[in-house]
Amino acid sequence: MRGIPTALITVGPEASRQMRPPRAMYPKGFKVGNSLGKPGQRELQKKVLRDALLILTEPARPGQVVEREYPEYES
Amino acid sequence: MSSLSRKCVPFTPLERDLAKARVVLVTAAGVHRRDQEPFNIADDLGDLTFRVVNGDAVNADLMVTHHHYDHSDADRDINCVFPLELLRELQAEGFIGEVAREHVGYMGYTMQLKKMYDEIAPQMAEYVDKKCKADVVVLTGG
Repeated sequence: MRGIPTALITVGPEASRQMRPPRAMYPKGFKVGNSLGKPGQRELQKKVLRDALLILTEPARPGQVVEREYPEYES
Repeated sequence: MSSLSRKCVPFTPLERDLAKARVVLVTAAGVHRRDQEPFNIADDLGDLTFRVVNGDAVNADLMVTHHHYDHSDADRDINCVFPLELLRELQAEGFIGEVAREHVGYMGYTMQLKKMYDEIAPQMAEYVDKKCKADVVVLTGG
């Protein structure tokens, strides 16, 4: 079958790295269950989703998990 | 899938603009519609089935069944793990081309790794490809 461009949002970057994802993003410090952010953090959730989609347009780094910081997660 | 070397990274280039792409969400976070059969968390080996979530589902239609992560936040706000509602906003803004009519949720805990790798994951990928007609997939865990 053909491949499908895929971006992973992971909160377990070490485990994800072992699976060699084509594209992956780790929002730094986000806990399991909060892949996009905490409940109600709508603008942050949308930003994380947008950033994950944008990774699909960035130079390829297959197998790497890109770390991104979102200070508003803890605020 | 099983013919790939374990050292390969399965990478497919994106050959269209995001603004023209049909996006599918796939989640291992145990998301399903409330009117669908929940994932069987009594199965110690892990339920390997998946559920199809319609692209116009509202958050109140959805729930999480999963016994291997604390999903209390997702129970309050499913956007934490399955941002379908937000994806629709990105479509309305023109950031993405289209939200697919169907998306996929499964329960990512399994002890049946070989079956997941050799059978179930390819089945899901086939569904995402042929039925969801994905140009792009965003994958979330919990």
